[in-house]
Amino acid sequence: MEPFILFILVLLFLFSGVPVAVSLGLSSMIVIAFFSRDSMSSVALQLLDASQNYTLLAIPFFILASSFMSTGGVAKRIIRFAIATVGHFRGGLAMASVMACILFAALSGSSPATVVAIGTIAIAGMRQVGYSRDFAAGIIANAGTLGILIPPSIVMVVYAAATDVSVGRMFLAGVVPGLVAGLMLMIAIYVVARVRGLPAEPWKGFGEILNGGKDAGWGLFLIVIIIGGIYGGVFTPTEAAAVAAVYSFIVAVFVYRDMGPLKGKPWLGADDSAAARTGFSALVYGVAFFFVWMILSFFVTFENENITIGGRAIAGGLLGLAIMLAYGFWRGPRAGTRNLLALLAASLPVWGRNLAMTARTFLPAIFHEETRKVMVDASKTTVMLMFIIVNALLFAHVLTAERIPQAITDIMLGAGFSPFTFLIAVNLLLLLGGQFMEPSGLLLIVAPVVFPIAIKLGIDPIHLGIIMVVNMEIGMITPPIGLNLFVTSGITGMSLIQVVRAAMPFVAVLFLFLIIVTYVPILTTWLPYSLMGPELVAK
Amino acid sequence: MSFLPYGPWLSLAALVAVYFCIDRVYPRGLARFEENAVAVLLGIITLVAFTQVIARYGFNSGWSGALEFQRILFAWMILFGMSYGVRANIHLGVDAFIRLLPRPLFRITAVLGALACIVYAAILLESSWLQLFGAKTSGGAVKYWSTVYRTGSGLDEMKWPQFVVDLFGAKERVQRWVAYLMLPVGLALLIFRSLQALVQIVRGDRELMIAGHEAEELVAENRGVLEE
Repeated sequence: MEPFILFILVLLFLFSGVPVAVSLGLSSMIVIAFFSRDSMSSVALQLLDASQNYTLLAIPFFILASSFMSTGGVAKRIIRFAIATVGHFRGGLAMASVMACILFAALSGSSPATVVAIGTIAIAGMRQVGYSRDFAAGIIANAGTLGILIPPSIVMVVYAAATDVSVGRMFLAGVVPGLVAGLMLMIAIYVVARVRGLPAEPWKGFGEILNGGKDAGWGLFLIVIIIGGIYGGVFTPTEAAAVAAVYSFIVAVFVYRDMGPLKGKPWLGADDSAAARTGFSALVYGVAFFFVWMILSFFVTFENENITIGGRAIAGGLLGLAIMLAYGFWRGPRAGTRNLLALLAASLPVWGRNLAMTARTFLPAIFHEETRKVMVDASKTTVMLMFIIVNALLFAHVLTAERIPQAITDIMLGAGFSPFTFLIAVNLLLLLGGQFMEPSGLLLIVAPVVFPIAIKLGIDPIHLGIIMVVNMEIGMITPPIGLNLFVTSGITGMSLIQVVRAAMPFVAVLFLFLIIVTYVPILTTWLPYSLMGPELVAK
Repeated sequence: MSFLPYGPWLSLAALVAVYFCIDRVYPRGLARFEENAVAVLLGIITLVAFTQVIARYGFNSGWSGALEFQRILFAWMILFGMSYGVRANIHLGVDAFIRLLPRPLFRITAVLGALACIVYAAILLESSWLQLFGAKTSGGAVKYWSTVYRTGSGLDEMKWPQFVVDLFGAKERVQRWVAYLMLPVGLALLIFRSLQALVQIVRGDRELMIAGHEAEELVAENRGVLEE
């Protein structure tokens, strides 16, 4: 009886325009108040405990990191790199947009942010070289959904918190499927491009790839910090997220200078001499290498006690020096000298100017109006998501207390569900639910119910998580409530129906992808298992 | 006369009254304060987490209370953010169906939506009024907080700095009730903001309690940038 009342109340509240969080919380509380002996004080305490969840604390940090990375310039750099890499194929600009979405997804855990950041630039670019508006919008709407499949992903953190699997494993599990989905979209684009005779961009050579990659590298290094840190066992996911947030602030404000007090001020002025420029670059490469070396070697040798920080620093310093020498030797002739010391000396004023500027603006940057806006936006998203999540946790608690998952498990197993048919059922349930609910909330409601069944049927918990995430992706691009559809329609000025029609052919590709992911578990489990060993779950 | 049992209620009422007055006189100032409050909380959590990582892995030291501190501030951010979210209209909901309703019915549903938020917060604050409707429940956030206040138990890890202990004769550990203060306060403010939203909906100044999807603001900022 109680389960029916619970579900009917939730649906009733949900569809009559009560906020999702309150729908879940209020119906749980009503069921507790009328059908159990629990005191409401313990419910209040549960709410407080759920808000203090350490795993979920990674969510605001990832949101913050992605907000700083979405401030404009990073998307442009990533697109340039992507065009240099795959632009010369037929339909190259569209393929580059998909690749840019994949890369951007690795910096941001949010799909709508990916659509806006990449879409505003890429759709305009595709229109200019003669792609139809529908084609361009359809691609961006679909590729944007990769934001939640490619780590870091907020939905994965939520799944991990709900089912006690490791966040690090979930992140690793998303990598291969994310790349496969991107590849499938690119292949579909290539086929369409062949049929319709879409244009290719000129091949600009490996130099452009290198330059583009170098430029985008500061941003893309974020994903190395996150995955490397978690995988190396150095950080907990929450710590990795905190480091990512601070790193992206520094990159956006002080390296790329896309926002804040240094916005629009170049590192090198027009009147700097060739020697100063070369020396500056040499030092940048040397120092950047040193830091990358220190971080990566820390991740790799974290557990080895024989390797000290000093030893790594000396090795890194020598290698960095070698890189500086090589660069000076290679590029020196343009500046008239191969003498590294002379080059470095010439670059000193440039360094002095820039470092002084950074030091002077460090505190103002923290309290700058643009920083404030990013912080406020990130905290808004956090509050919105977390309010839903804590109430969904309360709801899940009531489900468990009423022993609903066990009852459903018994019914399902009694009805003779095999892993094969069970996964079909899960997919249908999630696709249906994804039409109406925000992903994190839906996941928290569905996970406690299907997770025990999946374990009994011998389905891998990580695999189940990825299936769920892919379903959420499809939910984002299918009406009536497809977040990416709203966003794409908003930025292009196309009607919702037009966007739905434009996205449809590629949604078919994602459906095919869903089937592959569902029935080829090795796709998801291979990477996390070979790197971190199998997940142990208490049955 | 002791603070319990009515002190918490009186304090909450006073807080809401002050909040209401400030909102009448300086609505913009208060809005900015709320924005800054959640943003600063987020900033502090991030910085503490970051310095903690650096201290631990770089210098093998750290502050033992850091983890608890972050978690409590995180809870504060969420609990304070509930009411802020109502004012900023960021709470998600499904608006697809009620938008199909005829106008008068739509308004009534919108009012009911606001009412649901008030009932939600009211039950959490104190639930014994539900006994009027035949429920067997009692207690709530205020009661729980009062218990914690009465026992005066301390947090697991967090300690007051020495000068606070010396100056105010505080106990060594930070009392639990300090950390849990935001629970009743956040709920009281949620009732206030929801009530305000209800009045606004009745007057026709506001359409709904909910945002249709999470990217409404993002879309509004970039609306039609690619329009042809």
